[in-house]
Amino acid sequence: MTPVHFSFSSAFMLGLMGLTFHRTHLLSALLCLEGMMLSLFIALSLWSLQLESTTYATAPMLLLAFSACEAGAGLALLVATTRTHGTDHLQNLNLLQC
Amino acid sequence: MNPYVLAILLSSLGIGTTLTFASSHWLLAWMGLEISTLAIIPLMAQQHHPRAVEATTKYFLTQATAAAMILFASTTNAWTTGEWNIQEMSNPTALVLITMALALKIGLAPVHYWLPEVLQGLDLTTGLILSTWQKLAPFALIYQISPMMNPTLVIMLGLASTIIGGWGGLNQTQLRKILAYSSIAHLGWMMIVMQYSPNLAILNLILYITMTTATFLTFKNVASTKLSTLTLTWSKTPMMTTMAMMTLLSLGGLPPLTGFMPKWLILQELTKQDLPLTASIMALAALLSLFFYLRMCYAMTLTIAPNTNNNTSTWRQKSSQTTMTLSITTTLALALLPITPAIMALTT
Amino acid sequence: MFYFTFLVLIGLVLGLVGVASNPAPYFAALGLVVAAAVGCGILVGHGGSFLSLVLFLIYLGGMLVVFAYSAALAAEPYPETWGDWSVLFYVVVYIAGVLVVGGLVGGDWYSYSWVVVDEFKDLSLLRGDFSGVALMYSLGGAMLVVSGWVLLLTLFVVLELTRGLSRGALRAV
Repeated sequence: MTPVHFSFSSAFMLGLMGLTFHRTHLLSALLCLEGMMLSLFIALSLWSLQLESTTYATAPMLLLAFSACEAGAGLALLVATTRTHGTDHLQNLNLLQC
Repeated sequence: MNPYVLAILLSSLGIGTTLTFASSHWLLAWMGLEISTLAIIPLMAQQHHPRAVEATTKYFLTQATAAAMILFASTTNAWTTGEWNIQEMSNPTALVLITMALALKIGLAPVHYWLPEVLQGLDLTTGLILSTWQKLAPFALIYQISPMMNPTLVIMLGLASTIIGGWGGLNQTQLRKILAYSSIAHLGWMMIVMQYSPNLAILNLILYITMTTATFLTFKNVASTKLSTLTLTWSKTPMMTTMAMMTLLSLGGLPPLTGFMPKWLILQELTKQDLPLTASIMALAALLSLFFYLRMCYAMTLTIAPNTNNNTSTWRQKSSQTTMTLSITTTLALALLPITPAIMALTT
Repeated sequence: MFYFTFLVLIGLVLGLVGVASNPAPYFAALGLVVAAAVGCGILVGHGGSFLSLVLFLIYLGGMLVVFAYSAALAAEPYPETWGDWSVLFYVVVYIAGVLVVGGLVGGDWYSYSWVVVDEFKDLSLLRGDFSGVALMYSLGGAMLVVSGWVLLLTLFVVLELTRGLSRGALRAV
């Protein structure tokens, strides 16, 4: 395992742990998702750069487009949640619990 | 919703799943999953009431996390082996990660907690899409990587899903939550046979989709989302009450009905593979599921006319919904057992 | 050059620690800015100047403006920073976890660490990523169409999720 591989893996895992364990605000969860996407972007770019693979340089661009879509949908959900629940605290999303 | 927007969303839903089906590259498969997740979000939040928005938010967070994990696992695989092909993954860490991510996406047992809550917040049509069409794309990925997956992990996922799917539904009175747990249990049956005979898993998926479509459409037709309103079904449509009872028993897997076929074949396959203990646990866990199906049947059919009503009677308006799909799927959900060999030939 | 690469790798992990340790969204966005900036540094260090530029422009220029705006909307009177005990505890736990895992898996790190690309390509004008992204407009046309479609789809998704005062049961805002 190279230092680069280790650092983007640990960055992704930190984002995942932040998303799963600490969820005060919905916005924090979305930021953790963005952090995961950032580490994936770096991983994909470095993969194509290290292999000198020209065609794979498009993969991080596609990833960036899709993560932008995901962030947009997430922020729209943030607006919708704030409208219906009055706040963006994830604790308030408790109407459907068993 | 504007019909043009609805057309765009529904076609994107189809495109996303088809893209995942057609891809052999993990990046494209991931893109397809993302497209279908994005496309169903406005359909889920269509009603804009707090429960729908909450369900949508929970669904979005889980699906986005699962998709990111899938891409991370495939990137790890590419970094270590240089292979992006779905069917040629070989890094064990990446395989375990991706199995868990797909389990999260499809709602298998240790990571199933989102499914009952999300399904409870939706109307029955979107719930039907969520529990049938949205399962197809992750299931296709599971099918493709099944030969390389860790056998212990797969068995544990399958066993936990059937047991928890039966157990969780016991205390529920909300039909959509019961159906969510039934979905978890059925996916457990598919998972357990995945490595021994993937064709049986496909067969089980097809039959599960048929039966659950029939059930969802029945509930939609009588506009019932609780056990208590289910008790009035007989006063609205007596014939469908009978059919719905048998559909539920078919979901539970009782012999002369369709639902018996996958359970029978899977148990036989497990026994053939020399796994009698697993087969017994699966069969016993099916009894747990059968209990809540039976309770629904009891509420529907054994509380009829000579007894007093259990609920306030609603208006009996003539339903204007089309029943074509409902009648076809109900027929399929009840009477496919005699043509078992033909269906097995279809899926091999 | 080697120390620079190592420094930005540490910076990436620390930035994500800052995001993941559950501070107020405002500071989490700051952590993400730091992580994205050092991500640009990593890519430049490996010779991906164009991808680094794209990351800089799209991430810092586009997405984080939106996130900072939303963080301002979701502001609270006493935001938690990394100095608060609850957050500081998680920061320490995460850094310790990363160090432990790094110590476990990192026995032979330097044996086959990659060389940095731009040590060889001092005078090259045409970089791989530069022409590679341009290939998206010729060879990868179908992917371009898919990406364009999903961006359009997101437009409708956001519209449908947020529109309309007339619909919905409760309106707190």
